Amino acid sequence: MTDFFDSLQVAARIDGSPYVVSRESIREFCEASLDFNPLHLDDDYMKGHFGRTTFGGIIMHGMNNFGLLTRMLTNWAYERGGIHRRLETRWLVPVKPGDTIRPAGEVKAKQRTEKSRWVTVAVEVTNQRGEAVASGEALIEFPTATV
Amino acid sequence: MRAFETDFWRDNASRKIWDDIVPGEPRPTVPYLLTLEAIQKYCRAVGDLHPLYFDEAYAKKSRFGGLIAPPAIHILLMFACTPADDWMRSPGTVNAGQAWSYNVPARPGDTITLRARALDKFIKKERLFVVHDNVFFNERDEVICSGRGWTIRPA
Repeated sequence: MTDFFDSLQVAARIDGSPYVVSRESIREFCEASLDFNPLHLDDDYMKGHFGRTTFGGIIMHGMNNFGLLTRMLTNWAYERGGIHRRLETRWLVPVKPGDTIRPAGEVKAKQRTEKSRWVTVAVEVTNQRGEAVASGEALIEFPTATV
Repeated sequence: MRAFETDFWRDNASRKIWDDIVPGEPRPTVPYLLTLEAIQKYCRAVGDLHPLYFDEAYAKKSRFGGLIAPPAIHILLMFACTPADDWMRSPGTVNAGQAWSYNVPARPGDTITLRARALDKFIKKERLFVVHDNVFFNERDEVICSGRGWTIRPA
């Protein structure tokens, strides 16, 4: 298990599962996250203008992307003795009902510190048109001893 | 347990707008009892059915010694640990990005507390930004996670 860090190659890919976005999935995320902002519920409200932005209808929570990335990273890390330590993301394109999105990652760097070992992963969520809707970076720890 | 207000318009008049938010000023927060039901509801919403969150026997044998919540449970905790008049609920608040660091996992039965503040505010491309800064603790005062978020405030 602890050999995984040594054998891991920079540029290794991590693939997440596709996620179909619907009005129902957005509503379920409202209930699960307690985030009932009308951005995610009210089509009439979303026909308005938001400063320089117009959405035209409800959008998925940005943090739903975050949750999907976390799911991908923990599934990858847990099985290999790793611990998900950090995730930073920014949202690039709104996600709407009818979209199918998929998270993915790529190992960018490996680093040893005095007490542990770390892997930096570039992450991205893309939609069915291949557009990046979210991007960011994660840090996975591979402890030298069981914690 | 207090009823959660799902109509975010209801308390909107009492919420701080961008002009009122003072960087550095703490945000009022409330403790929250994290249940297994709430954890699993969140997990199902993102399709994350890992046995560490659902299978007690599996979780007991793991390095964690029992059921845990996934790291991103702070998505729920942010709204669970803040009152109805918190400015994060202002309709039209757009999330531009977030960054979180994870220490110990949250577990079912934990009473979670939040120390939170606005950290910064600025205007960029005519948009009103506020950065929020948060740390979640369990009842043993261990840090669960800490993070920042960049929000665009309703104009």
